[in-house]
Amino acid sequence: MPRADVAVVGVGLAGLTSAIALAEGGARVHVVATGFATTHWAAGGFDAGVVRGAATPQAAVDRLARKIGHPYRLVAAALPAALEWVRGILAEEGLTIVGGLSDPLRAIPTALGSTRIAAVLPDGMAAALAPWEPGETLVVCGPAGFRDFWPHAIVASLRRPGSWRGQPMPGRVEPVTVDLPGLAGRHNLSGLDIARAFDDPVWRDQALDTMARAVERLAGGDGRVALPAVLGLDDHAAVLEAARRRLPLLPFEVALAPPSVPGLRLYRALRAALLRRRGRLQIGEPVRGAVGEGHRVERLVGPAAAREFVLTVGAVVLATGGIAGGGIVGLDDGSLRETVLGLPVDAPLGDPWLLPDAFDPPGHPLETAGIRTDADLRPVAPRNVREPLAENVRIVGSLLAGQRYLRERCGDGVAIASALVASRSLGAHVAALAGPEHRLLASGSRAR
Amino acid sequence: MTIAEVVGAASAEAIGLSADACLKCNVCNTVCPVARVTDLFPGPKYVGPQAQRFRLGALLSPGTGEDSVVESPDKTVDYCSGCGVCSTACPAGVKIAEMNNRARGANRSGHVPRLRDWLLGQTDLTGWAGVLTAPIANWSLHNRLFRWLIDRFIGIDRRAPLPAFKAPPFRWRLGKRHRSAQLAGAPPPERAVVYFHGCAANYYEPHVAAAALEVLERNGYEVIVPPQVCCGLPLISNGLYGAARGRARRNLEVLARYARAGYRIVGTSTSCTHTLKSEYREMLDLDDADARAVADATWDICEFLLDLHDGDNLDTAFGTVAATLPYHAPCQLRSHGIGLPALDLFALVPGLEAIDTDHDCCGIAGTYGLKKEKYDIAMAVGEPLFRKIRSMGATEAACDSETCRWQIAAATGARLRHPVEILADAYRAADVAGPKSPARTEPAARSSPTAPAGG
Ligand SMILES: Cc1cc2nc3c(=O)[nH]c(=O)nc-3n(C[C@H](O)[C@H](O)[C@H](O)COP(=O)(O)OP(=O)(O)OC[C@H]3O[C@@H](n4cnc5c(N)ncnc54)[C@H](O)[C@@H]3O)c2cc1C
Ligand code: SF4
Ligand code: SF4
Ligand code: SF4
Repeated sequence: MPRADVAVVGVGLAGLTSAIALAEGGARVHVVATGFATTHWAAGGFDAGVVRGAATPQAAVDRLARKIGHPYRLVAAALPAALEWVRGILAEEGLTIVGGLSDPLRAIPTALGSTRIAAVLPDGMAAALAPWEPGETLVVCGPAGFRDFWPHAIVASLRRPGSWRGQPMPGRVEPVTVDLPGLAGRHNLSGLDIARAFDDPVWRDQALDTMARAVERLAGGDGRVALPAVLGLDDHAAVLEAARRRLPLLPFEVALAPPSVPGLRLYRALRAALLRRRGRLQIGEPVRGAVGEGHRVERLVGPAAAREFVLTVGAVVLATGGIAGGGIVGLDDGSLRETVLGLPVDAPLGDPWLLPDAFDPPGHPLETAGIRTDADLRPVAPRNVREPLAENVRIVGSLLAGQRYLRERCGDGVAIASALVASRSLGAHVAALAGPEHRLLASGSRAR
Repeated sequence: MTIAEVVGAASAEAIGLSADACLKCNVCNTVCPVARVTDLFPGPKYVGPQAQRFRLGALLSPGTGEDSVVESPDKTVDYCSGCGVCSTACPAGVKIAEMNNRARGANRSGHVPRLRDWLLGQTDLTGWAGVLTAPIANWSLHNRLFRWLIDRFIGIDRRAPLPAFKAPPFRWRLGKRHRSAQLAGAPPPERAVVYFHGCAANYYEPHVAAAALEVLERNGYEVIVPPQVCCGLPLISNGLYGAARGRARRNLEVLARYARAGYRIVGTSTSCTHTLKSEYREMLDLDDADARAVADATWDICEFLLDLHDGDNLDTAFGTVAATLPYHAPCQLRSHGIGLPALDLFALVPGLEAIDTDHDCCGIAGTYGLKKEKYDIAMAVGEPLFRKIRSMGATEAACDSETCRWQIAAATGARLRHPVEILADAYRAADVAGPKSPARTEPAARSSPTAPAGG
């Protein structure tokens, strides 16, 4: 039976960053998760918040932090430090993140031909952030036979000023489809396949040559070229550098439908950072319960090949992602259950499952369902917020109640800020427990 | 029953039904090591949950064994190596690898097995033949002409890593240890464990079995080695379910007797222990009281040693082993769902720096990489791992699974060792260094004999 100073449940952005911060502080961290998380679906940037009328992420965060019950009330202050810290961690793993919380939010093209609002993006997407000049051409260039990126459809939509959310748009938008070596006629071609092809330096050169010639023909003077986000997986930095050097226009990547290559890069960088700090990762089975005494959780329990898996823990970070992540499930009677510790879920009153309109403008009320916490992110009962239910547990990420991450686009910001707050408060906790000789690990508690 | 319960339950029925939980998110396709390197295999999502609807027979008459399994129209499922990486990645808990495994079995049932697949399943038979004729057998394994012939006419790739036979087999070296199928005369379960050596330690790597005995006995346990046959996994992965069931029943008969009497069953082959824990029930539908008792009593050796440590019952007087050791966690081990106990144990050895190579699969996947049409795929799957080990300049590396060890050793030239061998080294280093360390023939190194924490 393994032991850990801290067990982190969940391998999304919130879980991984919590684990890295704790491991950096010297804790023995064991991360467990049912499976992969929303990183594999996400665009790979950092959404801190989008609110009507707020020109920067920071302004949006400040507004959200004033909303009663919003997790930013507890963690917004930690966000700037969290973002700089994560940026540093990712840079160490070769992934550059561009843009800050006080930079303007811009409309950037999507693979559907719409735009989305962003300010903090991976390097590969960064060139989309600069405001467009009327003299600029946007070329949308994609490989033939690739079903997730249709340059002609994208362009048809991006030529409409309405797609640009009132922000400046390029003077000209042109599509081009290129035949990349060996891709024609391949079945089930995914963005990941093309990204892996780009990792090969020889193929990369041929592909970039082909793209350069095609873009050359369309590019009159200034402009930028939008490419699907497939510029390498393992060797992304080198592919990006080569693309910037070889293409006649400044390239930027556009996020695709899942699986998201930028999301994978982010996941892999965070995973490497965690292993580098001697963290342990165990993915494949859910945690289904816990054993504890008083207000402490002492063991986490889950299914395994035969007997149950039991992890003896000093503290727990729950980063199970709420309803979308599997941390909260709905039962047949309409009630909601937190899946690891059975914590009380704070959900909107009434019958929140059935609305006249599934896509109600304010968003589905269930989106806000989650766990309430005190200022240290310890779980509390929704109606008795003073007394923590478990003193060695912290709640982070989308599991925190009161956010509408789809509408407010605050999920990434809440994830990393709460990870920092939780790891700081647990860090002190773990140090006190462990002492110089890791008393926790040496103590003779019997697991069976 | 909620869909979560359906997905979680470990029965054949649930494996098929779990296809309904698929979100079509594609995450499994991003992790499949085989789809990563070849277009011959479209990936887990297509071959698993999406093709499952065409194998509905298994769902319509569940629990009746292989006869109810309908042949898969998608023959590419044969290229799935069964590594299980997809199942661990799926956010929705779809049992993709298990589904594919059953589909492969169904495609082969009712057909005369290929000679090659039959041969690869008969590890008992080839093992015996090999050790009895070890000099000739080993010579022919390295003989170009012989390898060319079996490549050409049987379909085992001439470059594939086939281990050398070591005569005499491990079972002949048991000395006075209890080895009867009967409990009478065996040391009591508080002081003894049952050792399941499997084929590899018996015929090819007796030194692994010897290290296991050394480490277990050092910790105060007597080791019982009752009669046993191949766990049956090579038969299962070659689709020979009937023969596999025969092996399983023979093992269960003996092992269940010990399990019920409170003995823990410890194995050094992480794929054998996984078979005892889970495949007998999940893949062979042998979900009876015997199978349950054996599953509950079975421990991978590192899992067992870490459990001793958790109860403060492990002798941690390890000597220094100054080395940087790349460690590959085999996917079979990951399927146990027990974490990476070898790394936790290595952390107790002074001077030892174990590095998790963090690569999904070495490619061999049991007997997959031996097959002529799959050898290149298997090598491509493992290549990033081989590169990592080569670039670390390591002359030794560790891995819990024998077939992975052979594959990695063949590809990198490094010496591949079972974690328990490293631990045995560390105990010996303590004996050399320590002024008054006990002689290794003494049963226990600790002052008080301790009972196992559970069982
Ligand atoms: C479709 C969708 C779109 C989104 N779009 C945006 C967006 O545009 N902008 C934005 O800011 N945010 C968005 N989000 C929110 C996004 O989830 C967060 O931004 C952020 O990634 C934080 O996630 P997390 O780490 O808290 O949890 P998740 O990424 O959801 O991870 C949950 C983890 O917990 C594990 N888990 C759950 N239950 C258990 C259990 N019982 N035992 C073990 N493991 C368990 C899961 O396997 C998983 O690894 C979106 C979410 C979804 C689902
Ligand atoms: S990972 Fe699971 S849910 Fe996603 S496509 Fe694969 S089987 Fe379906
Ligand atoms: S078991 Fe392995 S090879 Fe088979 S589909 Fe899953 S990941 Fe791919
Ligand atoms: S060969 Fe090794 S790494 Fe690969 S499938 Fe098996 S256990 Fe996995």
